Amino acid sequence: MTAQTAGPETLGHLSDEPPPVDPNSKKAEAITGKSPLRIAFGRLARDKIAVVCAAVVLFFVLVAIFAGVICSIFNVDTETVLATTRVNMLNGGLPKEGPPLHGFDPAHPFGVAPNTGNDNLAFWVYGCRTSLLIASIATLFASVLGVILGLLAGFLGGPVDKVISFFTDFFLTVPFLLAALTLAPIVAERFSTSPNYPRIQLIDLIVVLSMFGWMGIARLIRGEVLSLREREFIQAARVLGMPTSRILVKELLPNLVAPIVVSVSLMLPAFVAAEAGLAYLGIGVTSGISWGQTINTASNFFETYPLFLWEPLIGIVALVLALNLLGDAIRDALDPKTRR
Amino acid sequence: MRRNKPLAVLAGAALFGLAACGGSGSNGNDPGGPGRTFSGADAIAKDPQRTAPAADVDGATAGGTITVYLPGDPGPDSLDPTEGWSVTGNSIQQALTSRSLTQYARDPKTGSMVLVPDLATDLGSHNDDYTEWTFTLRDDAKWQDGSTITPEQVAWGITRSMDSDTFPGGPGTEYSQTYFKDAGKYKGPYTDKGKTWDGVSVDGQDITIKMAKPFPDMDYWGAFMAMGPAPLGKASDPPDYGQKIMSNGPYLVESFRPNEELVLVKNDQWDPNSDPARHQYADKWIFKFNQDTAKVDQIMLSDNTESQTALSTRLGSNNYQRANTELGDRLFQQSAQCTSFLSPDYTKITDINVRKALAYAYPYEDMWLATGEVPGVTRVPANSIMPPGMAGKKEFFADGDQFKYDPEKSKALLKEAGYEPGQYKISMIYYEADPLAVAGQKQLVKGFQEAGFTVVNGGYPVQDSPYNIWLNPDDPLNKKLNLRGVNWCSDWPSGLTMIPPLTKTGAAYNTAQFSEPAIDEKMNSITSLPQDQQADAWGALDEEIETKYFPIIPTAFRNDLFVFGSKIGNGVGDGALGAPDYKDLFVVQ
Repeated sequence: MTAQTAGPETLGHLSDEPPPVDPNSKKAEAITGKSPLRIAFGRLARDKIAVVCAAVVLFFVLVAIFAGVICSIFNVDTETVLATTRVNMLNGGLPKEGPPLHGFDPAHPFGVAPNTGNDNLAFWVYGCRTSLLIASIATLFASVLGVILGLLAGFLGGPVDKVISFFTDFFLTVPFLLAALTLAPIVAERFSTSPNYPRIQLIDLIVVLSMFGWMGIARLIRGEVLSLREREFIQAARVLGMPTSRILVKELLPNLVAPIVVSVSLMLPAFVAAEAGLAYLGIGVTSGISWGQTINTASNFFETYPLFLWEPLIGIVALVLALNLLGDAIRDALDPKTRR
Repeated sequence: MRRNKPLAVLAGAALFGLAACGGSGSNGNDPGGPGRTFSGADAIAKDPQRTAPAADVDGATAGGTITVYLPGDPGPDSLDPTEGWSVTGNSIQQALTSRSLTQYARDPKTGSMVLVPDLATDLGSHNDDYTEWTFTLRDDAKWQDGSTITPEQVAWGITRSMDSDTFPGGPGTEYSQTYFKDAGKYKGPYTDKGKTWDGVSVDGQDITIKMAKPFPDMDYWGAFMAMGPAPLGKASDPPDYGQKIMSNGPYLVESFRPNEELVLVKNDQWDPNSDPARHQYADKWIFKFNQDTAKVDQIMLSDNTESQTALSTRLGSNNYQRANTELGDRLFQQSAQCTSFLSPDYTKITDINVRKALAYAYPYEDMWLATGEVPGVTRVPANSIMPPGMAGKKEFFADGDQFKYDPEKSKALLKEAGYEPGQYKISMIYYEADPLAVAGQKQLVKGFQEAGFTVVNGGYPVQDSPYNIWLNPDDPLNKKLNLRGVNWCSDWPSGLTMIPPLTKTGAAYNTAQFSEPAIDEKMNSITSLPQDQQADAWGALDEEIETKYFPIIPTAFRNDLFVFGSKIGNGVGDGALGAPDYKDLFVVQ
């Protein structure tokens, strides 16, 4: 096993190659004591794309968190209304007021859905909440699971490594989409009479997403640990008699922050897209509100009422794109070797 | 008869039906295209004298391939004539591959359907009390292999229809096993192996069918392909026969993949001089099942070369406006002799006021809109069990006036029954796999809620056709329900095919579990009445059931929309089946 030439702990040295400065100057004071992460953060802040993407992500996060407030500001809600009160039944179920046939309707800034008369803004805002909620919880579970298993497999080695690696490979061989398509109806069938059905569906989706999302990070961490555990500082810790748990948490984990942050930032958009994709396929949160479901309905109206389709579509594209670019930027910032 | 998969019964599902030509009026100033309104059905006439060959359709030319798109319709699983009891399967097979005793022909002048002979030389003769029917068969009809269709083979086909266990989804379960001799005792040739049945006998070219009770509608029942021939012996053993049937109509099966595709090609053994109603214009038919509505709508609206010789059996409501303006006559509106119902469980919701309250609590137009129907065109409010156009149907109103969504009235009725708003709980299911059904359910829950009912959990989602739950008495979920539904279409224009299957004690589709011995008795006695009084008697019984007991709530009468390609000639509908008139279509050369 060869050690990496530049591990994360050496990031600070290889980084920006600051010009030699007088150790007594003010500048030197600012440089000294900077952790690798702070340096990376500094690079991020200078990356214009990263800043814009972060702003976009922040916007969606705020929308998700303050969904209720936003709805009450615009005086809209997700309550079902009787369709005839808002849509014109003689006109293919298109709205009586607002787009696509009439001008802007201040009562429903995003218009209302054809056929059902649901308020598009409210559904958009709460759809954003669903997307981010599912994606972030699934990311949390998947990464915690992946990190723990990766750490254990890499550090303990031997039979533990074999077993964990087997399960990692096993889950990688199971096609995610097929498993999701099979599991969703089983869960739905089992809990269809439960009053908590929508919540169970949500949990089911999070479980499915995290169950098939942890393998990548587990493999990555295992590989990193394999190289790190032969390094001097780990050997030293062992010689000093540090318990294994302490070595894992205090010595190894801090050195793994960079790969974890990178994979989490790339896992989030993948889950957002997966959630929308599953909802589009008719599984996932069918009884709740989701962008994917709106897209599914709206795709039938792409000619007669394009706005209805564009709203959730732009939401998803903007969020996934921003998260992805941000993830890339974070990776670039943390890894000096791939700097542009 | 019910549609193959009436997925969203409480929501929108295409059904099927009966006669009448589309109303494409010419008030051309309307920017929304020609005005369409709901059209009722025409009565079906009978013409026992009709002889072969069938009159040519005006301007018909031979050749070409016709592609039929069936959006959202899985089609039949089996082509076995004895098994066929769906609008899709029967309309295709009865027109193109499988002959029976009688059949329907479209009158090109009036657009109404006429019952004419098929394999029989007339519409059959009967004794005075309709307990014995005799059909004389023609001797020039042939199978696809060139052999002649013998009376024994027809008798064998009829005997097969007695087997309810082998063909649980077949129409014989309702008719053969009710009216034919030894109904209930003789279980059919496959289940009761070795037993002989003397319900049908052959004498020369004559076939005589004996009845257990008077059956005046045998000539209509003879138009079902189940009342047609089957090869003797092992050759017609189910289930294999259903995948590879022997054709005797103008087309034979080239390939059949259930739920996907059926390809029919010309059968050169079929002789036009042996058939009073069928034609053999196109060279080939391709039926594409389970198509995506949005995709098919685009194909049909594009009018490209591929779609010019195609037709579609459904149109999405979101494209209705555009299709109505652009397509003109090519958008054909076919009335369906169908009624949709809500079925409150008669054993659980015992108070008639609560059932009436439900009728006022159901948000009719909102439901239709949310489930993608066009209110006033493909759906109109219903007042009776029997659909419009059926002989004997009465214009009565169970509660004085047409039921409309009226939450106040519903609350008042609930109060009368002793329930405060929100106190009465409704348990029902909905089909979760269809987003339209989910949208419809939300409308229904909202409507019920405003009208003083509470829907437990907002309805239980199911992943399967609701019928699989409703029709299974042992299903634990079904036992919980107190509100179900059913969509029903007549098998022929008689109250006999609507009222008993829905309201007789223990009938399969009696999802309300309605049971009143007095009504059962009346149903039994109507078939013994002189034939000219029967239609009115059914109408009167319909009114009596609905005003006195109100066991099932009629929510809608239905019309279907078909789209024909620009090169399809004579693009019209078959009013007897509520399907495109496959017998008379051709490709304009």
